[in-house]
Amino acid sequence: MSLKSYSRARAVHVMLVYTGGCNGCDIEIVNCVLSPKFDIEQYKIFLTWNPREADVLVVTGPVTRHNKEPLKAIYEAIPEPKAVIAAGACALMGGVYKNIHGDIPSEEICGPVDEVIPVDAKVPGCAVRPEDVLAGAVAALPLLLDAE
Amino acid sequence: MDEDNKITDETPKKQVIETEVPLGPVHSAAIEPYRVRLFVEDEIVKDAEITVGVNHRGIERIMEGLPVEKANSLTEKICGICSNIHIWNSVLVAEKALEIDVPERAQYIRIIMAELERLHSHLLYLAHGNEVLGHETFSMRLFYIRETVMELLRMIGGNRVQYGVPIIGGIRPRAELDQMKIQKIEDGINFLEEKLSNFAERFISDPMIMSRITGVGVIKKEDALRLAVSGPTLRATGVAVDLRRDMKEYDPFDFDVITQDDGDIKSNLLMRVLENFESIKIIRQAINHLPEGSITNRSWEMQDTPITKNYVEAPRGKLYHSYALNDGRVRHCIIRTPSITNIGAMEYACIGCHITDAQLAVVQCDPCFTCTDRAIQIIQL
Repeated sequence: MSLKSYSRARAVHVMLVYTGGCNGCDIEIVNCVLSPKFDIEQYKIFLTWNPREADVLVVTGPVTRHNKEPLKAIYEAIPEPKAVIAAGACALMGGVYKNIHGDIPSEEICGPVDEVIPVDAKVPGCAVRPEDVLAGAVAALPLLLDAE
Repeated sequence: MDEDNKITDETPKKQVIETEVPLGPVHSAAIEPYRVRLFVEDEIVKDAEITVGVNHRGIERIMEGLPVEKANSLTEKICGICSNIHIWNSVLVAEKALEIDVPERAQYIRIIMAELERLHSHLLYLAHGNEVLGHETFSMRLFYIRETVMELLRMIGGNRVQYGVPIIGGIRPRAELDQMKIQKIEDGINFLEEKLSNFAERFISDPMIMSRITGVGVIKKEDALRLAVSGPTLRATGVAVDLRRDMKEYDPFDFDVITQDDGDIKSNLLMRVLENFESIKIIRQAINHLPEGSITNRSWEMQDTPITKNYVEAPRGKLYHSYALNDGRVRHCIIRTPSITNIGAMEYACIGCHITDAQLAVVQCDPCFTCTDRAIQIIQL
């Protein structure tokens, strides 16, 4: 392990972006950072709200029309190397909000997330379980640590 | 529109203040995206404006045309915090329209779910409030206490967030309580009561927190009534209004309507702490007197109904659902969530605060903008 990846592994900052889901995933992700039961900080992963400080972007929700451009802007603002985790059924495939009437897509939804920004890890579930978020965050770590 | 509420030319114009501090849509103190514009003079907030609509998904439009059972399960996806009360209210509307009797055992289990959800919503509010205050120890402590409630919810409903317990005519068979589950609920609420009393004692006797939140973000009683505030935020100003008193489902239970006097952040936080004990009281009564019998009433027929509406007391205030059914499908659907009426109070509470307290003043009204973002505004040109 190089010195760079060694030091990167000591401070991974996660930023949470909410793009129009039902809030369930967001509460669970915040829960897995703040709650002593899950405590993602023991893996040296911290929650931040500043995209310029962040390494990992966690996106929840089906990306509503108003959130599409801000999400791209936030993604651009994160410095390289970066990883994106899409969490929850809405972020993965639009959830219940997209294509509910057979083949007619909803005008309000621009998702899923991988149509807007590139996604590296996917966490399924409605709502996501905190254990799965931990696994997703750990799965995205090699992208950061092995980058040049 | 009646004459009193009409906006006329005589309505005082908002004073033009030059310095504007925008917060959001993505901001650290608020998990959900919403935008607060603060108009400040010398670091004192003179006016505030909240804009919602960033996460509009058009869920009522999606619901229209679906079979009523499917639409009911979709109401859960309006909000991930108070999901049970949404599905319960939509089921209640359908039951009211189709005149379905619900077995008593199912009513009790629904109440247990609703009160557990109120506990988890209030504990989340307190944890979030303490985090915004800057007291992370209390925040983590409350998340730890809340985990007990989440485990109980997962045990009954099978999921930590979307439980889907009520169905038309009763509850889902998954949520049937046996003796082992009842024992677990009892242990859980005993643990919760003990930990919450410890927390309340420490919270009230902490001079640093109390001096930080007393007299900040005050909503006066008259203004709360004028702004049509609902739920715990209204009760914190001294108005003893609780829709649970009017719901026939809550008739067998004995509980108090908690009120506070001041309407500031201290009252709002204490309000939720004390309401938790009432919820624990209701759950204890429900599990001690759980009636025997079936949990679903399957003998009902679908028919066409006119517009039927119902109000319930959600964890954050007054929740309204209305349905009109035709051919087994939802033809008309209107949902009004508590936060939309509380937005007025959030803007009002910011005025006069120091700018660092503004986010706290918004958070004290327990906003849930996920719920709220279904409304469209029609601007008359």
